[in-house]
Amino acid sequence: MTDEFETQLRRALRPVDAPEGFTEKLMGRLPKAEPANPPVVVVALPSSRPAAPALRPTRNFVLPAALAASLVAAVMLGQHMGQLRDQARQQREIAEGREASRELMQALRVTSQKLDMAYQAVTNPPSTSAGEEENPS
Amino acid sequence: MNVRISLRVFAFATALWLAAPSSALAQAQPKPQPRPVPLRGQLLLPEFASLADKASEVVNVTLDSQLLGLGCRFLSTEDPEEAQVKKVCTSLRGIYVRHFTFDQEFAYPKADIDTVRRQLSAPGWSQMVNVRSNKEKANVDVYVLIDGDKAQGLSIIASEPREFTIVNVVGTIDLEQLHDLTRFGVPDLEIEADKKSFTKLPPKRN
Repeated sequence: MTDEFETQLRRALRPVDAPEGFTEKLMGRLPKAEPANPPVVVVALPSSRPAAPALRPTRNFVLPAALAASLVAAVMLGQHMGQLRDQARQQREIAEGREASRELMQALRVTSQKLDMAYQAVTNPPSTSAGEEENPS
Repeated sequence: MNVRISLRVFAFATALWLAAPSSALAQAQPKPQPRPVPLRGQLLLPEFASLADKASEVVNVTLDSQLLGLGCRFLSTEDPEEAQVKKVCTSLRGIYVRHFTFDQEFAYPKADIDTVRRQLSAPGWSQMVNVRSNKEKANVDVYVLIDGDKAQGLSIIASEPREFTIVNVVGTIDLEQLHDLTRFGVPDLEIEADKKSFTKLPPKRN
């Protein structure tokens, strides 16, 4: 039983030559391959300028940008502060001017009041005393 | 890391930019001016501290030429009173007023008043009016500083039982214009007059 099985197995697995025309049939059934792209050749041309040094990604422009931004900010703040200072100076001048004009009016009122006292006394002297003085006898 | 550094640089540089002009401005501040020399016609008025303490109302006006000019510029030309003052004050160089009102009769410090009177005895000053009122116990002395044919100064010393006033006006004074100012709300007082400058009588002695 076992020998017979081995015999059948060897008979089934014996090498058998392919029939004639098998290779052609097989190749004929395979899909045809795409033609390959021609290779690209890159040629580095010589440059007239010297090659630029390699840039570092961020570090070189951050500091100048910060300085420029600070300068702009300082100029804007300075202008704003200057405007505020001018406004404060103008307001102070107006307040001083109004105070001075008020004091001037007050001073001239007092002056005119005292001058008028003298003026009234001179132009309208009491008749009794004046008469006595002009005619002492 | 880079952001931190740039923020620090930004803050530092901004502070530096702002500090530079500020320090320059601080250095440009004007130095305190020395005390100005009194102008011709200007009196050195005492402080009258003892009067100010006891007075119920104090008017203390010190307007030098700069403040006077500033005050003149702010006077209105539409208000008739201010317009008239504006005409007068353009030729003035200073106005100094000390005016005290009291609630009760008060003895004025004679020494302070004598200090002012001594200055009015200087050459150039002449007493124009001397009013002595027995009834009202009011005294008014008007002095004028004549330079050439123009009045360059005016001083008034007026005392009443409850009022004391010293006025010093410096500058070219047009007496007619100044007299026009007397239209401003003036009280009518009954005062006996010593017309020293207008008659040939000697001053009345009490």
